[in-house]
Amino acid sequence: MSLVRINKKLYARYGGAVRAILRDGCIVLQGHLPTWKDVVDACQTAATKYSTTHVVNDIVCDEVKDTPMRLPSLHDNALDGREPDVLVIGGGISGVSIARELSRWKLDILLVDKEPDLALQASGRNDGEVHPGIDLSKGSLKHHYIRKGNEMYAQVCKELDVPFRRVGQYVCFNKGYLKPLVALYCLWRKQHDGISDTKLISGEELHRVEPNFGEEFKFAISNPSSGCVCPYGLTIAYAENAVQNGAEVALNTAVLSMQLENGKIKSVETNRGTIYPHLVINAAGVFSEDIAKMAGDRFFSIHPRRGTNSILDKKAGAFMHSIASIKEITRSKTHSKGGGILHTVHDNLLVGPDAVETYEKENVATHRESIEHVFAKQKKTMPRLSERDIITYFTGVRAPTFEEDFIIEHGRKTKNLIHCAGIQSPGLTTAPAVALDVADMAVEMLQKEKAVKKNTDFSPIRHGVPVLREMSDEQRAEMIRKNPDYGIMVCRCEEVSKGEILDALRSPICVPTVDGVKKRVRPGMGRCQGGFCSPPVMQIIAEFLGVPLSEVKKSSAESTITFGRTK
Amino acid sequence: MRTFDTVVIGGGPAGLAAATAAHENGAKTLLIEREARLGGILKQCIHDGFGLVRFGEKLSGPEYAERFIDAFCKADIPAMTLTFVTRIAPKENGGFHVTLVSRDGVETVEAKTLVLSTGCRERTAKQVSIHGTRPAGVFTAGTAQHLTNLLGELPTKRCVILGSGDIGLIMARRLTLEGAKVLGVYEAKPTPSGLTRNIHQCLHDYNIPLYLSHTVTRVFGDDRLTAVEIAEVDDKMQPLAGTEQILECDALILSVGLIPENELAESLGVEIDPKTKGPLCNGQLMTSVDGVFSCGNALHVNDLVDYVSESGECAGKNAALYVRKKRQEIPINAAKMLSYIVPQRLNLDADNHETVLYFRSRDILNGCTLKMRINGEEAFSKKYPFLRPPEMERLTVDFSKYPLDASSEIEFDIEVKANG
Repeated sequence: MSLVRINKKLYARYGGAVRAILRDGCIVLQGHLPTWKDVVDACQTAATKYSTTHVVNDIVCDEVKDTPMRLPSLHDNALDGREPDVLVIGGGISGVSIARELSRWKLDILLVDKEPDLALQASGRNDGEVHPGIDLSKGSLKHHYIRKGNEMYAQVCKELDVPFRRVGQYVCFNKGYLKPLVALYCLWRKQHDGISDTKLISGEELHRVEPNFGEEFKFAISNPSSGCVCPYGLTIAYAENAVQNGAEVALNTAVLSMQLENGKIKSVETNRGTIYPHLVINAAGVFSEDIAKMAGDRFFSIHPRRGTNSILDKKAGAFMHSIASIKEITRSKTHSKGGGILHTVHDNLLVGPDAVETYEKENVATHRESIEHVFAKQKKTMPRLSERDIITYFTGVRAPTFEEDFIIEHGRKTKNLIHCAGIQSPGLTTAPAVALDVADMAVEMLQKEKAVKKNTDFSPIRHGVPVLREMSDEQRAEMIRKNPDYGIMVCRCEEVSKGEILDALRSPICVPTVDGVKKRVRPGMGRCQGGFCSPPVMQIIAEFLGVPLSEVKKSSAESTITFGRTK
Repeated sequence: MRTFDTVVIGGGPAGLAAATAAHENGAKTLLIEREARLGGILKQCIHDGFGLVRFGEKLSGPEYAERFIDAFCKADIPAMTLTFVTRIAPKENGGFHVTLVSRDGVETVEAKTLVLSTGCRERTAKQVSIHGTRPAGVFTAGTAQHLTNLLGELPTKRCVILGSGDIGLIMARRLTLEGAKVLGVYEAKPTPSGLTRNIHQCLHDYNIPLYLSHTVTRVFGDDRLTAVEIAEVDDKMQPLAGTEQILECDALILSVGLIPENELAESLGVEIDPKTKGPLCNGQLMTSVDGVFSCGNALHVNDLVDYVSESGECAGKNAALYVRKKRQEIPINAAKMLSYIVPQRLNLDADNHETVLYFRSRDILNGCTLKMRINGEEAFSKKYPFLRPPEMERLTVDFSKYPLDASSEIEFDIEVKANG
């Protein structure tokens, strides 16, 4: 789309309030609009899907409150003067998978994240679906990486000891007359985009595999390559494997500013000292635009899009065993699929997510309407679905660009920088494949400065904490014989033993908080939501750290649970 | 493989009473408890008021538990603490294999009968649709009680309590005594959920306000809770727009209901009563599965521990005396005026004697009569000056007095005098 046309369109909609200019090969939108919705609409008007000419949003918006990025309270000099070969910014699935692939090389790798744990933002707040790529067309990076990423999952999850199930996905239709059209669509995906395993199944067949699905479904698209994974489990596993192979992970570490020299990042200021990296990888999720700006390389904009998922009791897990959603042909303009139902690797059901544009990058508060909206839709997929089975819900914020594609490329202006930005769905699926490419790009760049050797000690194998509830009685007895703590049950809902909790605390990236333990071995993930087990979990952490109970936190340093001794 | 006549699962007040009763009735009994000490939730109930019905005196929770633990220990009944049941498998010709995990490993024991005294759990914030962030400082009342009374840690300095269930009321007083400020107890229903005596002794005596028809809709705070949003609710308990107010505090304590824990029961195919969320039982407290008995708060949520012990004794005794034979049962239905009645079934061969029934009315009723109808014909009635949903009623009916057969249907209903 030419600039003239963009401006014509903008003028038609917003009068003179917004205009587009070309700057450094980007379409920069300037002006003033009242609401964030207007801003998103204006930028979307100017953007071309999957284009590498990005829209940069410089529109002043009345609605947007300037909330600064939340920063950790920690201040020390632990990283001051560090000169890593590679500094990875962001401990989500992108950052950790890149760090792990880089650890195949003899490099000094430092990964920083401002949060007190890995996967605390989008990577820990999504539905865990490993997508088949049915809805992605050629020409996008999403499409470029989806098949390879999907195919890599079995191997990666085996290496990293993370549960992964290829449960298959069904897109269900209740209008029979659409079948020929959808069949053509599937054929097109196959011929043109290489999505080869997709097939159409009849309503009868669908009900044979998923008897609880809506009776009125006439047919469905079946995508057998779809799977599910525990997204934060995989993120943690990738990071642990990176650490085992020599990388360093620094949590509670926020990038505050950067100093540039001769078109390169010279130093990176953090709350834990100044770092002098040779190469920086921007995998900062919703903050990737901010990092790009610090690095003098802002050529895209992120428009945060939040989504809420509900987790249902394992009892509801028996209602279905795959991933599914009803497909209604509407003129909906939302970019995300608008949710589905997924049987998780932990045998809960997950319902969601919805998609709501927001300027707030870190507001993960949930809203009643999100749950109502998603349930209203998904009850059509499976009428047995009930809000009464909800045990918890959570919100995450996606980090799309206005072009709705990934940005995986070198800095356009800044030389020692690689962006892995704009990562949204299916970013979890593509991460293993993207990480290979980004690591190759990084090594190639570093090789221009010095010889980079293979890490001959690299091992792709990571052993997770043993999961005793999944073992046979004999295996379990043997484990308990070696370590009787495996026989002390702490969490009754999820059957987690004291031994497993201590293993989590002794894991390569120790996060000694109630949430840290919960994410690693699941006490508190069940139907009582920690009602019974949170006090004993706190006791185990306090004992492990040798601190009073009041020092045990939920997550961040400020998330105090108790205020000290009673009278 | 160790073999027992009766295995009791859960060592709280129901399980202790059940195990002792089973033993006294000649059963070789084993009690299994998940925690390190017997007594269940009573261990953390350091307030008094326990045992008024049974002992005619006010005991604290641990004191009440101790009486039963003493009797249990004197009888020298085997007990396994820090032991968790992972699986129960029915045997082909009756009886069960119970698989246990403990520090000693994995053991499977055989039992002719089971008593499930697994207690209940608390409803959580997300189950009552509270939205907002996920900060530290959202506790169920039982968790707050655990932290305060067992671990000696103060969970709040300034809090809001949602729900007027008994534990919430008790915790309002307890936290006040520990120097915390309790801003108020908020209850979505138009009437309190807890016992009247607790409203007086825990709230009125400490000037803690009770706000009826109010609920908490949102919590705020990224790290520790900083505030909650309160709203008035309509008669369907839905928040009324425009009535929201923000209260600054550091904790939200929830006392919004208890749910009987019946995951083990369900794994055995035990039929659950949607009204009580506990197993459907007959007068002997046997569930729909032969040889499986239920008692205490797993059966239905009690407000007095005295009745928990009573149901434990009933289940334990009958588990010990159980002889496998075909059952002939007729339903005991609760009409609309009752929120539930336990037992829900009558065994024509075994319950034709004086049988204990527990029920709750659905609403606050004054000057009313409980009526038992057999096949629509009134057979028994009892007058009550008032009935309140929070206060469970117990009564005994001698079913031997009535001509009952396999086609009989029993229904309990409440009639209210006009202008009563």
